This record gives sequence, C-alpha cells and structure tokens, in this order.
Amino acid sequence: MIRETSAASKIFDLTLIIVLVAISLLCILPIWYTLMVSLSQKSAAAAGIVSVWPKGFNLNSYQQIMKDAMFFNSFWVSVQRVGLGAVISFAVTVLMAYPLSKSTKDFRLRNVLMWVLVFMMLFSGGLIPLYQTVKAYGLIDSVWVLVLSGGLPMFNVILVMNFFRNLPKELEESAFVDGAGPWYTLIKLIIPLSVPVLATVTLFSIVGHWNEFFSGLVFMTKPDNYPLQTYIQQMVVQMDLTSISNDPEALKRLNELSNQTLNAAKIFIAMIPILVIYPFLQRFFVHGITLGSVKE
Amino acid sequence: MNNKGFAKHYYFMLLPGYVWLIMFSIVPMFGVLIAFQDYQPVRGVFRSEWIGLENFEYMFALNDSKMIFFNTIFIALMKMAAHLIVPVIFALMLNELRAAIFKRWVQTIVYLPHFLSWVILSGIIMDVFSFTGPVNNMLSIFHMDPILFMGKPELFPYLVVGSDVWKEFGFNTIIYLAALTGINPSLYEAAALDGANRWHRLRHITVPGIAPTALLLLILSLGNVLNAGFDQIFNLYNPLVYSTGDIIDTWVYREGLLKLQYGLATSVGLLKSVVGFILITLSYYLANRFTNYRIF
Amino acid sequence: MFKKIIMVLLAASMAAVSACSNGSNEKTAEKPQASAKPAAPADPFGKYEEPVTITTAYSVDPAFKSTKGETLENNAWKTAMKEELNIEIDIAWQVSKENFDQKMNLSIASNDLPDAMVVSQVQLNQMVKAGELEDLTEAYNNYASPSVKRIMESTNGLAIEQVTFDGKMMAIPHVGAEDFNMLWIRQDWLDKLGLQPPKTVEDLENVAKAFVERDPDGNGKADTIGIATGTGLYNDFTAGPGAFDLTPIFGAFNAFPGFWVEGEDGKPAYGSILPETKNALAKLRDMYAAGLIDKEIGIRKAAEETVISGKAGMFFEGFYGGYWPLPSAWQNDPKANWQAYAAPLDKEGKYNVKITNPSNGYLVVRKGFEHPEALIKLNNLYLRDEAIHGPDFMLIRNFFAPLDEIGFEYKAMQEVLAGTKKPEDYADLPEYKLLKNSLETIKNAKLEPYDKLDIQYWNQSDKDFMRAYSIMVGARNHFDPNLNKIKSLSYTRTESVEKRWTNLTKLEKETFLKIIMGSAPLDTFDQFVKDWKKQGGDVVTEEITKTIQ
Repeated sequence: MIRETSAASKIFDLTLIIVLVAISLLCILPIWYTLMVSLSQKSAAAAGIVSVWPKGFNLNSYQQIMKDAMFFNSFWVSVQRVGLGAVISFAVTVLMAYPLSKSTKDFRLRNVLMWVLVFMMLFSGGLIPLYQTVKAYGLIDSVWVLVLSGGLPMFNVILVMNFFRNLPKELEESAFVDGAGPWYTLIKLIIPLSVPVLATVTLFSIVGHWNEFFSGLVFMTKPDNYPLQTYIQQMVVQMDLTSISNDPEALKRLNELSNQTLNAAKIFIAMIPILVIYPFLQRFFVHGITLGSVKE
Repeated sequence: MNNKGFAKHYYFMLLPGYVWLIMFSIVPMFGVLIAFQDYQPVRGVFRSEWIGLENFEYMFALNDSKMIFFNTIFIALMKMAAHLIVPVIFALMLNELRAAIFKRWVQTIVYLPHFLSWVILSGIIMDVFSFTGPVNNMLSIFHMDPILFMGKPELFPYLVVGSDVWKEFGFNTIIYLAALTGINPSLYEAAALDGANRWHRLRHITVPGIAPTALLLLILSLGNVLNAGFDQIFNLYNPLVYSTGDIIDTWVYREGLLKLQYGLATSVGLLKSVVGFILITLSYYLANRFTNYRIF
Repeated sequence: MFKKIIMVLLAASMAAVSACSNGSNEKTAEKPQASAKPAAPADPFGKYEEPVTITTAYSVDPAFKSTKGETLENNAWKTAMKEELNIEIDIAWQVSKENFDQKMNLSIASNDLPDAMVVSQVQLNQMVKAGELEDLTEAYNNYASPSVKRIMESTNGLAIEQVTFDGKMMAIPHVGAEDFNMLWIRQDWLDKLGLQPPKTVEDLENVAKAFVERDPDGNGKADTIGIATGTGLYNDFTAGPGAFDLTPIFGAFNAFPGFWVEGEDGKPAYGSILPETKNALAKLRDMYAAGLIDKEIGIRKAAEETVISGKAGMFFEGFYGGYWPLPSAWQNDPKANWQAYAAPLDKEGKYNVKITNPSNGYLVVRKGFEHPEALIKLNNLYLRDEAIHGPDFMLIRNFFAPLDEIGFEYKAMQEVLAGTKKPEDYADLPEYKLLKNSLETIKNAKLEPYDKLDIQYWNQSDKDFMRAYSIMVGARNHFDPNLNKIKSLSYTRTESVEKRWTNLTKLEKETFLKIIMGSAPLDTFDQFVKDWKKQGGDVVTEEITKTIQ
C-alpha cells in the first residue's frame, strides 16, 4: 500500500480516528443499554431508571433463560433455518446471476427473464394468498416454509449479476477457448473472483433469516416451531394502556408481561450468534484480494 | 465464439430459481385482484363482487390524503438520499483508515443497531430525547429551554430519518465495502507513481470505483418511494405529530384496526408497487441513456 | 435493506384468497341443522353419547406457568369436559395473546377458521358480514344455564344487543364486571405535606401543585410529577376503561368525550363536540401549562414508569391498581401508600363515571359446525365449576362475571373482616368465582386493624394480596355516595362508524392534545366541532340516532 507522510495527511488520519470513535460510541449505546437492563433488577427496569450502569446487578434473567427449554428449542429452529436458507440462497443466487450476466447475444431470452425478476421484486400478491398457497403445498409448520416463503432473493441476484458482469471478459473467454464449459467456468473461475460480493450476499441472507419473525407467526401453528426471533418478538410488546381487561387472571399477569429485564437478556443472547459471524466474514473483504492478479 | 450451445446450460442454471419464483411469488399473485373487489373471504377472489377503482377512490377521497401522501414521499425521499450518502461517506472513511484492527472494530460496532427492533429502539430514542434525557440536559448547559422533541411536528420527520440512518448505515456500508474490494489496486499504484496525492486518488479512483454500486442501489431504492418505514414510525409517532408523521402505512394500519380492510390494503400495496416499478423503469432508461450503464 | 416491510401487513397485505377453500364450507352450511339429535329435552349440562370434537384457536400467554403443574395436554378441565360432557378440544393453532388478533385476521381473511373461537367486535362484525358464522340463537336459548342467562340479563340487554344481527344471535358476548377509573394518590405524600385528599378539581390542582413544587419525595430535586398520564386521554364508546387517562377530570366538568350522550335538544349528541368538553380542555390546558400534568402526556408510551419509579403522585385507573402497576412500585418503595378515591367531583358534588361496554370479547362458531350448543354447554360448565378446577386452561371460554362482582366482593370482604358474616355465608354463589377464595384468605393479606387501609397494615408478600388490596382500596369506591353513572346511548359500531371513525378519531385526538399542550389555541375547539361534523360526524350521529330508536 502507498505510504503518505505529509503533515496534512497525518492530521487527516487523526481527525478520522476521532470521528469514527465518536460514531462507534453512538452505535454501541443501544446494545449497551439492553445489556444493562438485562443485568438490572426487575423493578428498576420497570421504572425506567436504568441508564449507563445496571441498577441492582444480578444474573437472574440469564439463569432463567438457561432453564427455558422453549428458548433453546427456538434457537435450534433458527439455526436450521439459517443453515438451509444460506446454502439455498447462495446456490440459487449464483446460478441465476451467472446466466443473467450474459448479453442477449449469448443468451437470447436474458432480458425477458431479467425483467420478470425486477417486476416480481416489486409486486406481490399479499399475505393471504401466500398463506393459502403455502397451505396448499402442505408446508405449514415445516422449517421449509421459513426458508422459502420469503421468496427468491432477487436483490441479491441483481447485486451479484452486476458484479459478474463487471469482471473482465477476457478471463472467461480464454477459459472458453481452452474448452471449459459454463459450469466449470462459473465454479472454477467466476466464483473465486467474486468472493467479496458473495460474502456480502451470504451475510445478507444469514442476517435476514436470523432476524425475520413474521413468517414464523403466520405459518406456524404452535410455538414449538417458532424460530428464535418469533419467540422473542411475542414477548417484547408494548402494553396497550387504553384497553386493559379487568379479568382477574389477565390482571395478575400484567406485571409479568412487562418483564423487561428478561426480555432484554433474551434479545441480547439472540444477537450474539449473528455478531460472531460478521467478524468471521470480514476477512473476505480484504482489499484487492481478487483482482490483484488480473492483468489488464 | 463457439459458445452458442451454452444457452441450454443457462436455462438449466435458472431453473431452480424460477421454480422458487413461480411457487412463492407468481402463484400468489392472483391476490392483486382483491384491489378491485369488495372482497368477501367466503366467496374468495374469483367470486367476490367487482367494484372497479372504488378502493383507490376511497384512498384519495380522504380529507388528509394529500398530507399523508406528502409525508410518506417526503420521509421516503429523505431516507433514500441519506441512505445513499451516509454509507458511501462512511465506507470511504473506513477505506482511508490504515489501522486494520481498529477498522474491523469500527465496522462491527456500527452494524450493531441494525439488530435491534424498533420496539426496543423507540424506547431508547424517546428516553434520549425526553424532557429529562441527555439531549435536553445538554441544551440546559447552554441555558436553553428544554424541547419536547417527540411532540414537535416540525422536527419529527428529521428525527425519523436521522434515527433510521443511525440504525442502518453500518449495515448498508457493507455493500460498499464489498464494492471497494473490486477496485484494482494496481490503479492506486499507478496513480501514486504519477504523483497523485491522497485526495486525488480518492476522487479519481475510489469514488468512480463504487459509483456503479451506488447508482444501482439508488435506482433499486426508488421502488420504495411510498414506503416510509411503518415499523419505525408506528413506534415513534403520537397524535401531536400526525401532521408531519402520519404515513400511508400507519393510516392503513389504524383503518385496519377498526375493520379488516382487505380491498383497501391491497390497493395501497398495488399502488406502491406500480409507482415503484414505474420509477425504477424510468431511472433504468435514464441511467442507460446518460451514463450508458445498464443496471439490469 | 430491501427487506419487505412486514408489520404493516397485518393490516396492509390482507390480500387475496383462492376459491379452493370455499366449496366445502358452503356445502356443510346447506345441510339441515337439525342433525343434532333433539331426542332429550335441552339439558344445559347434558353429556353427549358420541364424543364431540371442537377445534379452536388458543391464545397463550408466554409468561404463563401453571401453579399446579398442569399442561395443555393434561389438565383438570380437559378431564372434566370429557367426563361431564364428552367434549374434546383440538388446537388448530396457538399463538401469544399479543399476536392473536393478527393471526385471527389472517384466518378470517383466508376463510380458514377453527370450529369455535373468541374474537373482537371488529372481527365479529367482519365475520358476520362475510357470512362465516353460525346462528347461535337457538343454541343459546335452549342450552344456556340459568346462571349464564342471569349474568347476560344483568346488562339490561346491552350485551345481547351487540351480537344481534337481523334478529339473530351470531355470538355469545363476554360480560365483564363493571368498573370505572378513580384517583389513585400517594397518601404518604399528602400526609407529609399536610394536605387532605382532593375533592374538587380545585383541590386536585392544589395537591398536584404541592406534589410538583414541595419535593414530596424529599430527595431535594424538583423531579416529581403531579398526575401521570399516558397517550389516551379517554376512551370512546367502542372501548373499555383505560388506565392512565384523564376521564375523571372530564367527568368533573360533566364532559363525556367519546360517548353518545343526550344533547340539549334531547337528541343523541357526541360528547366530544359539546361545550362541556371545551371547558374541561380549558382547565386541562391550564393545568398542563402550570406543570401539574405529566409534561410528556401523549408521548410517553409506558406511563406507568413514573409511578413505579416513585416520581408520580397521582394517576387514574380502575379498581385494579393493586394488581398493576403498584406491585412493581412497591418493589422500589414498599412504603408508598397508594390510596384510591372517587374524585374529583363536579360542581354539584357528584363523581361522574363512564360506564363502558360490558363485553370485550365474543364467542363465535364457524358456519356449518354441527354442534353449536356444545360451546354453550362448555361455558355452562366453566361458569359452574371454576371454583373447583381453577382458572387455567379454560379453552374457548366466554368470560362471564356478574356486573356487580367487584363491589359485591368488597361488601362481602368488609362483612367478613367486621365479623358480621362468615365466609360460609357466601357459599353457593358460583358466579362470583373468586369470592370464596378472597373471603377465606382476606385475613392473611389484611393485617389488623382491619378498618385502616394504609399500606403498612397489609401483608404484601401474601399470595392473595394483589386482589385483596385492589378490592378493599379500589372497589371501595364502587359504593361512594357521590357516584353518578353515565352510560353511552350506544355501544355499537354502526356501518358509518366503521367507515369514518379512523379519520374522526385522528382529528379529535390531535386537536385535543394540541389544545392541552398549548400548541394550539383553545378556540381551535370550535373549528374542530365544525370539521368533525362536516367530515362525517353528522352522518354518524344520524345513524346512531336511528339505531337507538
């Protein structure tokens, strides 16, 4: 890399670091707050007086989660979903992006097929027909509905397609000249050259599958099949003060319902796996890893 | 070129993706018909009464539909611009950073807020901007009267955009970081040999390097011109800021609480899709015409 | 990034539906209903010879844990309904309470309904309109037990009126005990500052002023709040009493916003547009400006926070303060002496309370279900035997409570504490489900002297403390001599209400909040009245007038 040593450049570097540290602090705030709430006393959290440090430090919430079979059950559903979802999305995305990156000269129907995708990215029939369709397929309560009901990741396909298209044509052509077929070229040449963008879309699909909760709610008939975020979402709700029923049983549970420390702990634990994945994927974003070897 | 016979491989590669698309996106498309019906669940789509454009007329006949549309578009456009500019700048800043470990830390930290839902974040934001919150405390140092930020209609849209950028910019930066890796390092080396300084290299190599990605994302984001972010606004707004904060989706939601409005909700969805599709198509041709760059 | 915006979709993408699910339903609907054997005369507790299976949707509370270790698969009610009625219940789907409405809406819209379920008024109206429901008139008339009918009739027809469509009873309404909002106040703060509990609005202002200015919590900081309030200022006729609102202050001005009341000309008028409401708003505006009401009224989502943290001195809520949120407040300060009063009074010394809709849930049966009476029998059983089998796992339950349950329980508790009656004297009143337990345990929760209600005379760790405190301190006010009950002339969502209410409500809430918080002048009210009428209020009023006649 190029070194620069002028004074102006050094001042610039320093300012940059200060700004970035400030921004980072601003971004870590909500997570920190969630962590502190999870470590505080229930009554302090309910009173909204937890701030930078926990009030009445304790680990009760975490002990409670360790005993919660449902939590781990949902965790496992989420892991399955993310595993299947990431692999399938990856394969389909690559397989679609490659032919679509061809020109109409090489692939006559390319434009039609492309615009069908763009169109479908924007239009949808809505939730109810989707529900009925899924029901007709017999996928209610199956982990597959979590993997597939979100539909084809068209955004990722377009992103990867663009990346493929901007790769130097000469490489591919010389491979063809050497007698390689499209499958061989895609796997041995194109994919290795596209690691950063593939890492990006994989991250997107992992994060997307991990965070999504609504399809769990819609397509699962019992909480045993919920993915983690659906399980958590049903706890983290705001009480509607304008409609409290005076059914004694419901009243008794009002205090439980707003158990913020436990909810915070769940949110925090649920976040950890996904936070671990990012630094791992980061090494694919190293500058110039791919094209440095390409001769122009 | 002898790759004429490749087309059949291309179709084969597209097959899994298109099966997925047909099963989960195209089949449920029959749902859009509801937009033109007085939909009755028992009769279903094919036997409900046709009422033409009545649902759309109802939407536009509202007293404040103008205001709601304006709010939606205003907030959505600002978000679009901010989500374009901030992540690009941030990616460039990170790119200029030399300490690799620090860079990784910053990257990881700024993407944290993406993982918290608006239910959680809205609570934190309201605390931060409350009468006794840190922002007002800061103002009081300068002897300013406390401001009820969340109750000020003139400030609300900016708070919405600002907090949305804060939540998402770290995550949105990833895509640009991937794009930056696509820039050929030999370009930098050549420029350095030519005596270009840091600023020149930024302007003439880095920025043009990620411009196609930025353009792609901008055009795709036009599809969201009628989506101002339901989840966020629903959790942040209150009657005091209806005049600038009430958007199409929040209105439909309140309407749906009172009656299950299938027809209306579908028409709103369809309208959003049509507008989004027109804008994307239009910008596709404009981009093609003026920059000679095809994004699809 | 481009993820689909999902939440909206509950409402927003209620989209389409295939025709495939239709055929079967309509066919069964055409079958003659008489297939239920009319051999024996209708017996409200008659056992079926062949097992009857009912599918339903079950709303779980994720925080719920049965104290007796029962589960959904294995509990006393499951056994009881099998043995006594030969009924079995299958769960078609279950979901948490908070998401129940969403999931139910999806079921309704895709016409994929279980046999029986409990729904909201909006859903009921929708289902009736869609023709998805079975007529329950005969089943109710022939099979409802006398206790059920007694409770239903105690509402003077109000409950049944709401489920009657074209003369047919399309649902069985819940009936909840009557309650109203009252003033909950820190008695210890009053005592410390040498004040009396407020009676009039003026007193209320003075007390609030003292609470704000004279540092009642003694921490040396000006951080206390007079009256804690949430986002809802009051409830309209479509909803039940809300916590943390300002209804009693409106009541003190004879203003009943959100209710249908008799106007000057004797015709039904909407309370929010009457001059009394303007007067109340004027007062609230002054109080807000003087800092007596929570500054963040209308914005604060969790209004109870200020009570729990010990910052607020007053709030308005129903009798159930001892259930919520006070237990959390006592965890922070066990000595916070919260008491409840029927105040503030109006000029004539009356405490005006709004009587809300007694029903907040409706049991409905899918069209074509063969044994609609099974649901009636099941709920006869629930009502009769709750004291035996406990409140857990009552699936497809119609919530029935005598209208006067709360007050009745207070009277009985008092008699038992005074020694004039014994718990046994109240045996044989199964409708008052919790009465037996309350009376047997009251002496564990309440410490002597029995006539002092201050917090130090209670055993906070007793398991029945929450109800005992709520009844003794809160329900006490059900017998306040100044009580004046106001009913809305109608509690029904008519067709034009459904069409226009979203916009009218928006206009109303926005205007009123702005007036109170001083960002719009008081006279905006007059413009609001005009706008309200013009934007559909007049049409709604006309229709409501017709339904009353």
